[in-house]
Amino acid sequence: MGAINPLRWAAVAALSCTLPIIAHHSFTAEFDSGKIVTLRGVVSKVDWINPHIFVYIDVKDDAGKTTTWALQSLPPLFFRGSGLTKDLLLSNKQEVTVTANPAKDGTAAYGFMTKLSYPDGHVFSMSPQDADPNLRKTQK
Amino acid sequence: MISELANHRTLTRAALAAVILTTPIGAPAQTNYAAEAAKNPSAASRPTPRMADGHPDLSGVWHHFFGIGTIQKVGESFVIGGAFSPQSAGLYNAPLRDAKPEYKPEFAAKLKSLNDNQVKEDPTLHCLPPGVPRLGPPHQIVHTSKQAIFLYADNTGNQWRVIPLDGRPHGSDPETAATYNGDSVGHWEGDTLVVDVTRLTDETWLGDNGLFHSRRLHVTERLRRAGDTIQYQVTAEDPEVLQKPWTLSRTITLQPDALEEAAPCVDKDAGHYVTLEHHDNTR
Repeated sequence: MGAINPLRWAAVAALSCTLPIIAHHSFTAEFDSGKIVTLRGVVSKVDWINPHIFVYIDVKDDAGKTTTWALQSLPPLFFRGSGLTKDLLLSNKQEVTVTANPAKDGTAAYGFMTKLSYPDGHVFSMSPQDADPNLRKTQK
Repeated sequence: MISELANHRTLTRAALAAVILTTPIGAPAQTNYAAEAAKNPSAASRPTPRMADGHPDLSGVWHHFFGIGTIQKVGESFVIGGAFSPQSAGLYNAPLRDAKPEYKPEFAAKLKSLNDNQVKEDPTLHCLPPGVPRLGPPHQIVHTSKQAIFLYADNTGNQWRVIPLDGRPHGSDPETAATYNGDSVGHWEGDTLVVDVTRLTDETWLGDNGLFHSRRLHVTERLRRAGDTIQYQVTAEDPEVLQKPWTLSRTITLQPDALEEAAPCVDKDAGHYVTLEHHDNTR
């Protein structure tokens, strides 16, 4: 299998310890780093706002009902100069696989996004472990 | 492979929550001072440009609030770097070694309570302006012979201050309301611009971790340009709550890129805090 398998990536993310992600608020006061939710859906909306951007994912269940997940990410300035923009996130209409830490207060469809994987294998990852180039090579 | 795929879809569409044992790690300070300085190591030894009146020219983009460079492009992917990359974490997490303000003993309980409840009590976590001095050193300075304009793309929103340099006194109208950034006037002491700030609201904190103050707060900022750096020092005096003046220092470095306006701040977190855990939010 020459192509990168996005599903295997998702499995890696779910089975390894996804380190708690860092935001300028207290992440741990709001999100449960001990739980990971894996979603498949389409990016339907992005709020490019402080103190953290929000990415909305439309997830269809087996009955065809759509639930929109609101997923917090990092502060807008963190993305400056990287090329990752609101337009880029919205331009890809493919189904993506997303892992997130859910809200501690039990709010439905609300969490902190740890990784967004596209079908062609490229990712937007906020796991510190993915910052390590050697680890990235291993994954690829 | 196909069955693996089918199973995976079923599981993920049910939004399976897997319980993983992890050990939380503390969040780095994410300050940019050392990282910005490292990009321009000879900045301080460059010539200091001067205005026609002989004073150092403070104009320029000097600092970015925090976090720029955290997300990095690798191939077609985006991964976390900056303070979270083993290669650059040391720079981003360089300790600032700030002294702590010393409060009068009778305010110890209030300070502790505000610190313990920071996720609820910190105005900036709910998108209110940090105010002076918490706003920190200016991100951009527009300097003319008669005034200096300080611009900030703060993550609570865009901020500006106009600092007259023409020798005028502070406004004397007692009816004028206190504000987040106060009433600033500037004068030169040799090559150092001294900015005196009064009429500050008590709705802000001096800094992170519950550092409240009273309406008697008086702030003095000192800016001294050295080459392509500015040594910024700020002193807060509040005889009502502090035992003695509190000072902190930053060195900011001339930046090659333009200041970009801050995205609007919308607090979506307030209703979701379950615990009171918090980490440092150093500026």
